[in-house]
Amino acid sequence: MASNNLMIGLEIGTSKICVVVGESRPDGTVKILGVGQTPSRGVRKGEIVDFETAMKCVHEAVVDAEQKSDVMIRSVYVAIAGSHLKSFNNRGCVMLPEDRDEIDEQDVEDVKINAREVSIPAQNAFLHSIIQHYHVDGQNGVLNPIGMLGQKLEADFHIIHGLRTRIQNTIRCVKELPLDVEDVVFGGLASAQVILTQHQKDLGALVIDIGGGTTDYILYADGAVKQSGCIAIGGDHITNDISMGLRIPMARSEKLKIEEGSCVLGNCFPGEMILLKDDSGFAGKEIERETLNTIIHLRLQETFELLKRRLEKEPFINYLGAGICITGGCSLLNGIDHLATEIFEMPAHVAHAQTTSGVTSAVENPQFSTAIGLIKYAQAVQTDRPPRGIGRIFGKFFSGRR
Amino acid sequence: MIQLSKNYSLPERAAEFIPIKIISVGGAGLNALDRIVLDGLERAEVVAINTDVQSLASSVAAHKVQLGRSVTRGLGAGGDPELGYQAAVESADEIREALADARMIFVCAGLGGGTGSGAAPYVAQLAHEAGALVVAFATLPFSFEGKRRNAQAREALTRLNEVANGVICFENDKMGDIVAPQAGIHQAFATADITISQSVRSVVNLIQRPGLIRIGFDDLLAALRSPNGRCLFGFGESDSDNRAHEALTQALKNPLMDRGRMLADAARVLVQVAGGPGMTLSEVEILMQELGRHISEQTQILFGAAVDGRLGDRLSVTIVSSLRADEDFISQQSQPTQSSAPAMPPVWEQPHEISPEIEIESEPMPMEVFQPAEMTPFKESAPSETVPPPRVEPIPAFNKPEPIVSTPHKKPAPIKEEKPSAEKSAQAKQEVLQFEPVTRGRFEKSEPTIVEGEDLDVPTYLRKKIKVK
Repeated sequence: MASNNLMIGLEIGTSKICVVVGESRPDGTVKILGVGQTPSRGVRKGEIVDFETAMKCVHEAVVDAEQKSDVMIRSVYVAIAGSHLKSFNNRGCVMLPEDRDEIDEQDVEDVKINAREVSIPAQNAFLHSIIQHYHVDGQNGVLNPIGMLGQKLEADFHIIHGLRTRIQNTIRCVKELPLDVEDVVFGGLASAQVILTQHQKDLGALVIDIGGGTTDYILYADGAVKQSGCIAIGGDHITNDISMGLRIPMARSEKLKIEEGSCVLGNCFPGEMILLKDDSGFAGKEIERETLNTIIHLRLQETFELLKRRLEKEPFINYLGAGICITGGCSLLNGIDHLATEIFEMPAHVAHAQTTSGVTSAVENPQFSTAIGLIKYAQAVQTDRPPRGIGRIFGKFFSGRR
Repeated sequence: MIQLSKNYSLPERAAEFIPIKIISVGGAGLNALDRIVLDGLERAEVVAINTDVQSLASSVAAHKVQLGRSVTRGLGAGGDPELGYQAAVESADEIREALADARMIFVCAGLGGGTGSGAAPYVAQLAHEAGALVVAFATLPFSFEGKRRNAQAREALTRLNEVANGVICFENDKMGDIVAPQAGIHQAFATADITISQSVRSVVNLIQRPGLIRIGFDDLLAALRSPNGRCLFGFGESDSDNRAHEALTQALKNPLMDRGRMLADAARVLVQVAGGPGMTLSEVEILMQELGRHISEQTQILFGAAVDGRLGDRLSVTIVSSLRADEDFISQQSQPTQSSAPAMPPVWEQPHEISPEIEIESEPMPMEVFQPAEMTPFKESAPSETVPPPRVEPIPAFNKPEPIVSTPHKKPAPIKEEKPSAEKSAQAKQEVLQFEPVTRGRFEKSEPTIVEGEDLDVPTYLRKKIKVK
């Protein structure tokens, strides 16, 4: 059935809402059938602040996607962002009964539950429990313990959790349309699915997804997620800084940032000016290019430094063989890869979704990394173990709400 | 086997030498010529022509021609153009001889006097007959020199226009604007000479320089071609870090350019950018972009670029254009100059010299286009400045912003063709506005992003106390 293969990713971003319709192919690739998007309103820093407006925008985006892909959208995978998302690594442990020494699926499930038996704040809910490695009787680096013999099964998990109400808000926003929510996925995790190859994940890589309102990051080492999180700083902050620094309206700053902005300093002639044409309500202005770049540079430099400090709390940042991939709308800023290279002291480059076919123009834009990543994520979940996806963990959300 | 030469670079373009002669006629012309020679000019021959033997003798020009040995007997023409003309006719053969072998002849003369007004058109005519292309550089007298002199000068200018292929005309009154009022009168005249010298040299360079994008004589003529036109001329040179911008600013500052405002109405503008080998494409781009703001979209740009090793680090811009003659030109001439004008930038002198009606006629575009956008935000705060000039006597209205204006003016702010009064007072007003020192702008109503004790919604440059302006 074709409908089984259809997967829809919905990202409610700060600057745009985007719906990607994809089709899973038998050979494991994903074909993008269409992309719908609308400018986002009512969303700040990745979180919905104006429910009604945001819902309208989501609806528009969904309709747009339906028209472009000629598909009826019933259920979606939703990306989640926001600074409330936290993560940590935890190890779960189960002892097999005396009379049995072969590890089965139930044991693997048990160890996962065990790993999640840690205290997270009461108002928080688990978003992801991502398996890193299993240990069987002290043997490290086991990838699939089912069928192995052992007495003690341990598992390292990367656990991402966030404020229950905020996650529910996003879900509700979609459900009111009404659409079914297949799963909610951390935006950074989704992006990493299309940005990184398995090889890069094994080598170790950091994905920085700088969107409009948030900067999502996810660090892979040894093929597993080691660190992840979300900083509520994004392109909007840059725009806001420009607006305040140069005293020009927000819309103008945004345009200026996109068209002229760069975060490389000393790359323009001293005194080089940019002319802003006058408009209704805005007397034209001339601004110095270096000033603009300085504002952008300072903000991004700070963001990267903050991120670096966060990552350095754990040792994994030293194991990034594949370097840094920057994605998200803000990665289109000129020179951002150089700045990241300079601050993290390792190669960084701008990346976009690559492992798909179909509407390539949509795929080749870092702005859509997350939405396309959702489809890739969905595909992985569906093919992996159709009856038990990670989404099931969320069952309580969907059922408990109504 | 075929041998291929790996050397793909074209042979150095042989500097095509066009024989150019610079002929100066009359006392003022001689002064200018002296200046040209002293400033150094390698690619043209100079000839001094005058009736007055004394001034001829003191000239540094190598080739001298005395006019009217019998008519004036070595004295000047005494301010009589008729006498100057007769003297020239008498010495026609000598003049022809001096003009020979030149493909291009520049005639420099100070109009208004006897020899300049009388002989210069004749010399130009002879040059034309000799088959050369003729460009005249003429100065018009200061207004204080009297109406009679002015009338003679304009008559001569009309005749020059008839015989010469192009006329670049300098108004001494305009030159006076760039001289500080305290400076002596000799300095005012010297400035006129310097301006002419600069123009002549840059036009010679314009044509002689082997260009990447060559400017030909045809381009020059096209730029100057407008009936009985008023010439706009600007030249700027700079070797600073921001040389493209500065050279252009300087060029637009030229008294003949009226700060670039006149360019808005010009049909054709010739621009030549020349620099040393270090000149970059982006510099030229910046420059042309900036210039683009001073000219209208319909304007045809005759663009030339040249690389000249002799320029070293310098970058020079030459702008030549012309405006159609109108009453504006005449009436400006007839207005008495206020030589006691205060030390204001020339832009501000405009309202003193010409009546408000004329200003509107000469600058219809800026008035219509810029007024609403520029003025609406400041209507309440500055009503006196927003009143259109014709309604009130202009002097108090325009004088008012002057003390405030002088501050932003010090910065080499790029010149704009907009209405200066609205623009400048707007800037002054804006500086009063103070923003809250700590502000979160767009994020005012959302949950603050506080990381490590810092509110990251506040612009980074504010928190780090880095000045961005």
